[in-house]
Amino acid sequence: MGIYLGEFEQLLLLTVLRLGAEAYGVEIARDLEARAGRRVSRGALYTSLDRLENKGLLRWKAGAGTPEREGLPRRLYHVTPTGVAALRESRGVLKRMWRGIEHLLNEPS
Amino acid sequence: MIAPRLANRLLRRVLPEGTRGETIRGDLLEEFHARPSRWWFWRQTLSLVVRYGMRRESPAAARSDSMFETIWNDVRYAARSYAKTPTFTLAVLTTLALGIGASTAIFSMVNAILLQPLPLNEPDRLVYANEVNAKLVRISTSWLNYRDWRQRARSFEHLALTRDEPEALSAVERPQRLRGRRVTGNFFQAVGVRPALGRALADDDDRPGAPLMAVITDGFWRAQFGADPSVVGRTLILNERPATVVGILPRGFEYLRPYDLFVSMGPIADSPGLNQRGNHNGFYAVGRLRSGVSVESADRELRDIAAQLEREHPDTNTNISVRAEPLADRLVADVRPTLFALLGAVGFLLSDLCVNVANLLIARGAARQHELAVRAALGGGRRRLVSQLLVESTFVSLLGGGLGVAVASWLLRALIAVAPEGTPRLTSVAIDSTALVFALVASTICGLVFGAFPALLASGVQGQHALIRGRASGFAAGSHRLRRGLMVAETALALILLAGAGLMIRTLQQLAGVETGFRPDHLMTAQFALSGPRWTTERQRAFRDELLTKARAVPGVARAALTFALPIDGSQWNSIFIVSGKPIPDRAHLPSSAFTPVSDGYFEAVGMRLIRGRTIDARDDATTPRVAVVNESFAREMWPGEDPIGKRLKQGWPEDDNAWIEVVGLIADVKFNGISAETPMQVYLPLNQVAMREMAVVVRTAADPATVMPTLETIVHDLDKDLPLFARRTMDQIIESSMAQSRLSMTVFVVFALVALTLAAVGLYGVVAHGVTERTHEIGVRMALGADPVDVLRLIVGQGLVTVVAGLAVGIAGALALSRTIESLLFGVKPTDPTTFAAVIVLLLGVGLAACGVPAWRASRVDPTAALRAE
Repeated sequence: MGIYLGEFEQLLLLTVLRLGAEAYGVEIARDLEARAGRRVSRGALYTSLDRLENKGLLRWKAGAGTPEREGLPRRLYHVTPTGVAALRESRGVLKRMWRGIEHLLNEPS
Repeated sequence: MIAPRLANRLLRRVLPEGTRGETIRGDLLEEFHARPSRWWFWRQTLSLVVRYGMRRESPAAARSDSMFETIWNDVRYAARSYAKTPTFTLAVLTTLALGIGASTAIFSMVNAILLQPLPLNEPDRLVYANEVNAKLVRISTSWLNYRDWRQRARSFEHLALTRDEPEALSAVERPQRLRGRRVTGNFFQAVGVRPALGRALADDDDRPGAPLMAVITDGFWRAQFGADPSVVGRTLILNERPATVVGILPRGFEYLRPYDLFVSMGPIADSPGLNQRGNHNGFYAVGRLRSGVSVESADRELRDIAAQLEREHPDTNTNISVRAEPLADRLVADVRPTLFALLGAVGFLLSDLCVNVANLLIARGAARQHELAVRAALGGGRRRLVSQLLVESTFVSLLGGGLGVAVASWLLRALIAVAPEGTPRLTSVAIDSTALVFALVASTICGLVFGAFPALLASGVQGQHALIRGRASGFAAGSHRLRRGLMVAETALALILLAGAGLMIRTLQQLAGVETGFRPDHLMTAQFALSGPRWTTERQRAFRDELLTKARAVPGVARAALTFALPIDGSQWNSIFIVSGKPIPDRAHLPSSAFTPVSDGYFEAVGMRLIRGRTIDARDDATTPRVAVVNESFAREMWPGEDPIGKRLKQGWPEDDNAWIEVVGLIADVKFNGISAETPMQVYLPLNQVAMREMAVVVRTAADPATVMPTLETIVHDLDKDLPLFARRTMDQIIESSMAQSRLSMTVFVVFALVALTLAAVGLYGVVAHGVTERTHEIGVRMALGADPVDVLRLIVGQGLVTVVAGLAVGIAGALALSRTIESLLFGVKPTDPTTFAAVIVLLLGVGLAACGVPAWRASRVDPTAALRAE
C-alpha cells in the first residue's frame, strides 16, 4: 500500500506536475481555479502544500523575486518520486473502481 | 494601490520565518498587484493567520495540537456526542433557552428603562425641580416662583418650565386629541435639541399676550402632514385657538414620552390663575446645569431661593420649598422597585439554571466516566480533559443562549403588552446589542460555571483506577456528594422564588378583594374637553344637559352622568379649605381635600352609597345656594362624631372671597387614587355650580359596556363635530390598569417559580434515582438479610428528604434576608407572611416527597437475587 492521498492532495500534486518549472503559489492557485473550479483560501493552500512536503511528496527550491513581489522569493515546487508513485497508486485504485461500470456513468449522447 | 500595511505587518508576525514565510507574502503581493482588492488581501491574510497563527503558540507541539484545531475538534466532538443523547440535550437546551430567554427579556426592560441614559443631549446635566409642601410632598411649581428662581439661580445654563397639556386639534378631517406639552421658550435649549426645520421657541414667546406658537415632533409631522416641509408657518387650530407651527423637531427626539407637539407660554403668561403666587398649576421645572455644578448644589441653591421667597411672600410661600433631582431618576421613580425586584428574580433564576445544568452534566459525566478514564489512560492529560469538558459545556450553553434570544424577543413582546400604562420609555425597550451582549455573557458564564463542576470531578479521575468498572469509584462518590449539595442550593433557590411568587399572588388577591365602595361592573367611561373661547358657560351647560339627555335615552343605558374625576383613576384637583365654626389653623397646617365636580345622577350611576342627606341634583346651579356632598373620610376627619349635614366649608385660602358651601349629603368612601391607596378626603360639587372644561362621561349599561361606545360617539359628534372623545375605558379596565404593575411582577415571579420548581423536582428525582441505581447491590444485600421493602422505602425517601429540608432551611434564611427588597411591591401582606411561607414549604416538601418516592418505590421492589448479581 502506498500513501493515502486525499482528493485535494491529488489535485495539488497534479497541478504541480502540470505547471512544471512554473509551479509556485500564485500559479498553483490560478490553475486550480481554472481547471478544477476550486477556489482555495491561501491559508488552506500553503498548509496543504506544507503537509505534502512533510509527507515527502513535494520538494521546493527558492526562485528569484520580481518587482511586483517586492523582490521576495518564490517557492518553486516539484513532485518527488514518492509523490509520483502515490499519484500512480491513487489512479490505479480509481481505475480498478471504474472498470466495468463506465457504461452506467456515461452521459447519454 | 498599496497592499494594506497592517495586514502585511500581521503576516510578517505569524508566518514562518525565513524564505518559507517570505514566499507566501511574495505570492500575496504578486496577486494583489494583478488584482488590487484590499478585501481579498485581508481575507487571505485572515485565513493565513488562522492556519499559521494558532500553530505558533506552541511550536513544540505537534500540528494537530494547535489550540484552534483542538477547540474545533472538541466542538465537533461535543456536537456529535450531544446529538447521540437527544433527550438529555433537549432537556439542557430547553432549560437554558428558558432561563437565558427570561433573563434577557427582563434585562432588556431594565436596561432600556433604568440604565440607558435619556436620549437627550448630555442627560446627566438635566435636573427636575418642583415645589414641596410642609410635609415634603411634591406639589407642582408656581409660575411666579419659577420666574424668581430663573432670575436668581446661578446653577443653570437654562431653567425651563413645562407641563403636560393635551390639545384638541380641530378644523381638520378627523378632530383628535394631541399629546401636547406647554413649555417656556428656553425649553429646547435646556433639553438640548434644535429643530430640523424652522425655529425653536424663544424667550420672546413667553411674553404675555404673545401669539400661540407650536413646535411639532417628527412623528406627528409625518403622520398628520405626510412630512410636508411647507407646514412651517401654517396655522393649526388647537383648543379652538389658532397656533402657528414654527418648527419641526428632528427625528428620534423624545422627551420622556411620545408627544405630538410643544406649545408656547405667551397666551397664558398673564392669565390671572397663573399670576397668583399661591397657585401651583401642574408645572415643573427642568434645568440644564452649568458644567461642573452638581445636582446637590443646584438643589441647595434652589432651596435657599425658596427660603428667600418664603420671607418675601409669607402669605403664599410659607413652608413651600423645592426639591431638585436628576431628571432620569424622577422619570423612573415609580417603576424602579418593581424592575429591580424582577432583576433580582432573574439573578435567582439564572443561578438556579446553572445549578440545574451542572447537575445534569455531572449525571452525564458519571455515565461517561469510563470514556473519560479510557481517554486519560491513552494519554489525555488532565488539562486536556478539563478543557474539553469546558468547551462542551460552553458550546451547549451558547447554543441554548442563541435559542434564549429567540425566546426573549417573544417574551419581551408579551411583557410590553402587559406592562402598566404609563411605564416610561417603553417604546425604546427592545432586544438591542446590549441585550445580545448580556445573553452572550450570561451564556458563557453559565457554560463555564456549570461546566466547572463536572470538569473538576473528571480531573480527579485516576486512569487505571476508573478503567476497572468498579462500583464505588471516586468519581461516583464525589459526584453524588456534589449533586446533593447542588440539590440543596436548587431547593433553596426554588423556595426563594416560590416565596416571592406566593407573596405577589397574595398581593393581587388582596388588591382584587379590595372593597372599592362602588359597583365597577358595566360602567363605560370616556373623556372630553370643552376648551376654547367658543365654549361659553352657557354653551358648556347646554352641551352637558343635551349629552346627558341623549345618552340616557340610548337603549341599554341605565344611567349616565358626568364627573371631573373618576374613582380609582385619581384626583385631578386638590385644594386646601377651611370649615366654619372651627379655629383656622396656621397656613402650613391647612387641611387639603380632593374636589370633584359631578353632574346629577353621578352617585347613582357609579353605584355609590348615600349615608345621609341628599345627592347632587340637576337643579343645583348658579341660581341656587352652593352645596356639596362630602365623603366619610372627610366627615370623620373634620367633624368627628358630628353630623356633617348643614355644616359649611370654603375652598381655597382663608382670606379668599370664595363662597361658603353647605354640606347637604354624606356619601360612603370609594377607592379614589388607585386601588391600593387610602381614600382621601373628598368634596363633591355640582358641575352646574363649578363648571369644569375637562370631564368624563360615565354610563352604566345593562349589557357589555363597550357596546354603547359607538352610539356615544355618534351623540357627541352630532352635538359638536370638532370634539374628540378620548381615554375610552370601562371601569374594569381602569381597575385592571391600576393593578397592572402588581400583575406584571406576579406573572414574572410565578413563571420563574414554576420553572424553578420543575427544575428542582426533576433534579431531585435524578439525584435520588441515580443514588438508587448506584446502590442496587447494597439494597439487594439489605433485603437478602431480611430488610422489609418499607425499610428500604424509608431509607431512600429519608435521605432524599434530608436534602430537601436542608434546602428549605437555607432558602427560608435567604428569603427572610431578602424580604425587605420586595416589601414595596406588596399590598395587604407582610414579606414574612407565615401563611405564604407555610404553603411554599408544604408544596416543596410534597414535590420533594413525590420526586424521591418514585425511585424509592422502585428500589423497594428490587429482587434481591437480581440485585446481588448486579454489577
